[in-house]
Amino acid sequence: MMNKLIFGRYIPGDSFIHTMDPRAKLIASFYFIGIIFLANNWQTYAVLAVFTLFAIFLSKVNIRFFIRGIKPLIWLILFTVALQMLFTQGGEVYFKWGIFTVTEFGVINGLFIFCRFVLIIFMSTLLTLTTPPLDLSDAIEYLLRPLKVVRFPVHEVSLMLSIALRFVPTLMDETEKIMNAQRARGVDFGEGSLIQKMKAIVPLLIPLFVSSFNRAEDLATAMEARGYQGGEGRTKYRVLHWHLKDTVVMLAFVALTAILIFIRS
Amino acid sequence: MDIRFEQVDFTYQPNTPFEQRALFDLNLMIKEGSYTAIVGHTGSGKSTLLQHLNALVKPTKGKVMIGDRTILPETNNKNLKPIRKKVGIVFQFPEAQLFEETVERDIAFGPKNFGVSDEEGKRLAKEMLTLVGLDESYLARSPFELSGGQMRRVAIAGVLAMEPEVLVLDEPTAGLDPQGRKEMMGMFQKLHDERGMTIVLVTHLMDDVANYADHVIVLEKGKIVKDGTPQSVFEDIDWLKEKQLGVPTAANFAEKLIAKGMSFDTLPLTAEALADDLLKELKAGVDL
Repeated sequence: MMNKLIFGRYIPGDSFIHTMDPRAKLIASFYFIGIIFLANNWQTYAVLAVFTLFAIFLSKVNIRFFIRGIKPLIWLILFTVALQMLFTQGGEVYFKWGIFTVTEFGVINGLFIFCRFVLIIFMSTLLTLTTPPLDLSDAIEYLLRPLKVVRFPVHEVSLMLSIALRFVPTLMDETEKIMNAQRARGVDFGEGSLIQKMKAIVPLLIPLFVSSFNRAEDLATAMEARGYQGGEGRTKYRVLHWHLKDTVVMLAFVALTAILIFIRS
Repeated sequence: MDIRFEQVDFTYQPNTPFEQRALFDLNLMIKEGSYTAIVGHTGSGKSTLLQHLNALVKPTKGKVMIGDRTILPETNNKNLKPIRKKVGIVFQFPEAQLFEETVERDIAFGPKNFGVSDEEGKRLAKEMLTLVGLDESYLARSPFELSGGQMRRVAIAGVLAMEPEVLVLDEPTAGLDPQGRKEMMGMFQKLHDERGMTIVLVTHLMDDVANYADHVIVLEKGKIVKDGTPQSVFEDIDWLKEKQLGVPTAANFAEKLIAKGMSFDTLPLTAEALADDLLKELKAGVDL
């Protein structure tokens, strides 16, 4: 069930992208999503596509996994593209039926949106495939630091984030285990009518909640026993290092922005 | 009901970067009425093997024959319920599967899924609860207010209530105190002896294997490395020590006596067998 999901998982490696600073990767990914809206003609999309493919090439991860990462979202993408195609006015009219019109602008817009989706998914998949979740949460903690000024609980949020990330696989395992145990007791998951399906979830959900409560209690006790008293006065074990190549990547993004602004129509 | 594996391979998440092969070309036979123990290190594939026994997973290659049903890689997921009723699995830490408001309803949950009436479910709940050593006063209580050991008993009762022909136990006594462990193993033994239940036990405790099982399967890295009676598997103590699998306490002690010059016809595996052998030697007038 969850095994098919590629998006949001990490593949260990030691490529150029893998060894980048997670802060640089995080900033770059968000920045990329921002500048993708600068693109408005074929040349700009071509530049972005080449840039994305080059990044994927640098990560040494097989491109098949990126393509597979799109699969769960393909219906959402196609739906949006179809809406764009059917309802955009302007340009040469190819086809008209009731309120639906397929026009030149519509088709072009639809294709642009498709490109936009695919590029964004590729870039964010690249981020998660090459960055361990804990590094990501470290990066988020660092980047949220300025918010301390407005009394935002940065340490608490990042602690929750890293604990949550740490327990995603554990909870997944637990879910699978309980599911198996209930299936062995004759529960059919995902079969029958909607109501039956929802009823079948109860024997999975309750034990999962109960074990989460127990786990939280145990974890809190264990943390206190090891002297945890909150964020004040703590030192860091994992220290992030910003290297030359991170600066280079940032500069590449600046250059990319310049090119986009120059060739957009 | 026999369970047979023929050249069973199993791979987790095939055709993804996370692909992981867990079972390699397994051939095994669990005979009706036998008490089979499966041993091996953590990560040797025991739990994966278990899930094949009632078709929770299907082999990626080869076939699994459960009674008169054959499970192939392409077998449809529908109509597997009859198998699940016949093969009950008690997973590791089964107390995690409790969810109902009362103990009674939780125990009756399994049988009801297989179409048993409410009355019959209640009767089964009562019967099974006494069988696992709790009295009827527990029926109306919430499973979440029980102690860990009691929860374990209720969970096991829930599986027994389905009245399976084959009972699969994945480390059923892990985390229990010695008394509870003894009671529980005694109960499984009784089910095996009196009701003719086929039992498959996964364990790290070689004493349990020696005391109860009549067939041992040793797994290593997803392959069967030894398969036979406890006597034949434990005969080669050096091999066991080399594989770091552990040796039954009695056999270990006998080994020390052998080093001091004693000899046994067959290596005693249980305390009783050891005591009998020693008594025989004493009667024969050997000076210890």
